[in-house]
Amino acid sequence: MRQANVSPDASASIDAPDETSAPIVELGGRFISRGQLALRSAYWLTALVAPHPPERATPVSAGVMRELDGLGFGAIRLVGASSLLVGLITVFQVAYQLAPYGAEIVSVRAVAWFVAREIGPIVVAILIVARSAAAIAGEFASMSANGEIDALRAMGLDPVKYLVVPKLAALLIALPALTALAIALAIIGGWIGTSVVLGFNTGLYLEHLHESLAIRDVGVGLAKSLGFALLIGLIAADEGLRVERRVSAIGSAATRAVVYCLLGVLGADTLVNAVVYFIPGLT
Amino acid sequence: MIRDRAASVDALGASPVHDAALIVDDLTGPVAAPVLRKISFTVLSGATHVILGGMHSGKSLLLRLLLGLQRSQHGTVEIDGMSFDVSAPNEDTLRRVRRRVGVVFDSSALISRLTLLENVELPLVEHTSLSVDAAREAADALLREVGVRADVDRTPDTVSRLDRRRTALARALALDPMLLLVDEPGHGLDADAAADLDDALVALQHRRMCALVICSQEVRYAFRAPGSLSVLAGGTLVEHGTLDALRASEHADVRRLVDRRGAA
Repeated sequence: MRQANVSPDASASIDAPDETSAPIVELGGRFISRGQLALRSAYWLTALVAPHPPERATPVSAGVMRELDGLGFGAIRLVGASSLLVGLITVFQVAYQLAPYGAEIVSVRAVAWFVAREIGPIVVAILIVARSAAAIAGEFASMSANGEIDALRAMGLDPVKYLVVPKLAALLIALPALTALAIALAIIGGWIGTSVVLGFNTGLYLEHLHESLAIRDVGVGLAKSLGFALLIGLIAADEGLRVERRVSAIGSAATRAVVYCLLGVLGADTLVNAVVYFIPGLT
Repeated sequence: MIRDRAASVDALGASPVHDAALIVDDLTGPVAAPVLRKISFTVLSGATHVILGGMHSGKSLLLRLLLGLQRSQHGTVEIDGMSFDVSAPNEDTLRRVRRRVGVVFDSSALISRLTLLENVELPLVEHTSLSVDAAREAADALLREVGVRADVDRTPDTVSRLDRRRTALARALALDPMLLLVDEPGHGLDADAAADLDDALVALQHRRMCALVICSQEVRYAFRAPGSLSVLAGGTLVEHGTLDALRASEHADVRRLVDRRGAA
C-alpha cells in the first residue's frame, strides 16, 4: 500500500450526514459536500493514474474496468440510436425553416456545427443521467443502508477511493468517447436526411460538411463532455453517500440525483454558452 | 489460560493498563442525541467480553462509536495502546486503530459488488505488502478456516446468510486483528446455524489469541463464552463482571435477561 495511508482531511461529508435545516443552508451544504467529494476524488484519481508496479494493481483499477463496461459500453446502443435520430431531426427542422429561402442545403452547416458543439455533448450527458445517475445514487444509498460503507471505513479504507473514483474515472473516459460517437452518428443521420429524404447528392453534403465543421468544434464538444462527466459522477455519488442509513432513503436519493444532475448539466452548459457569447474571440 | 485472564477483570474496569486490548472511558454519544451515557469498560488482551442488551439498547451504536464511525459527545477509547478522544478523533490515529480491529456487523455488510473471495482480499491487498496472488491465496485460506462452504467466486447475495456471516468473519480476521468485535453473531440465523457459527468463533479466538467482544441480546453467550460481561440497559452499562455477578444481580433488566434463559 503506497499512497493509501494519507488522505485529505475533508471527511465530514460522509462521516456525518447533517440534519437538514433551512433550504439555503441545505443548498450551501450540498455545494460544500460536493466540493469536498471533488477534492478527495481528485486526490485518489491522481493516485490512480500515478505509475505503480502492475503486480500491485489495486482493486480500484479493476473497479474502473467494471464500471467502464456498465457505464460506457452498456450505453453504446442507446447513445448510437439516439444520436442518429437527433441528426435526422435537426436536418428536418433546419431545412424546414430554410425552405422558404431555397436554402435547405445550408442545414448541413447547422447540423455539423450545432451537433458537434452543443447537441452531441448535451444529448449524451442527458442520456447518461437518465441511464446511470439514478443507478449510481441508488447503489451507494443501498450500500449505506446495508452498512457496506461503514464496513469499508471500519477497515480503514476510504469509500471515495473504492466507490466514487472507479465510477468517476469510467465516466471521464466514457463520456468523451460516447460524445465522439454521437457526433459521428448525428452527422451520418444528417447525411441520411439530406441525401435520402431531401434529395441532395452526397458530394454536396460532404462539401458543406467540410467547409463548416472544424476540429475545434469537435474539441469544444469533447471538452464539454469531460465537464459533464465530472458533474454527473460527483452529484450522483454525493446524493447516494449523503443519505441516512435507511432503506427508504434509496429511492429519494436516486430521484434527487437525476434532478440535480440534469440541472447541473444544463446549468453548466448555459454558463459556458453565455461566457462564450459575451466574450468575443472565444468562438 | 484465557479463562483466567478474563476472570481477573475488575468489576469497574480498573485493570492493569498495559495488558488491555480495549479501554472505554466515560463514553457518551452520539453528538446530536446521546443515546449512550457514561459507558466505561475494559477488555484484556486475548479475553472474551460479552455485552448483553435487549433490542434497540444501543449495542450496534456502541460499536460504531468505538470505531469513530459516528462522532460521540465525549469520552476516550484506547485500543492496542492507542488512545483517542472519540469526540474529536485524529483521522490518522483512527486509521491505525481500525487496522488493528476486526468487525463483524450484524448485517455482515459485505461489499455486494465483490465476490466472497474479493471481499476478504480487499483489506489484504490494501493494507499489506502481499502481491495480488499471495493475497488471493491468503484470502482463500481464511475462507476455508472459517468454514465457508459456498463457491467463493459468488457474490454475497447469492449465498446463504451463514456463509455471508462466515465471510464477514474471515474479512474481519484478514489483518490478524488484536481485537475482534462481533455484533449479534446469530442475527437472522436459525439455532443450528447460529450454534455452528458460535463454534467457529470460539475456536478461532482460541487459535488467534485475539480479544473478542460480542454484542448480543442472547444471554446464552454469557454462558457459552467464558469471560467478562457487561449488561447494557437504558443507555448505560448497568452490570459488570462475571457470570456469577450476573446471576446475583438485583437489577431488573439483568434479572429479565437471565430469567429468559431459565424459561427457554
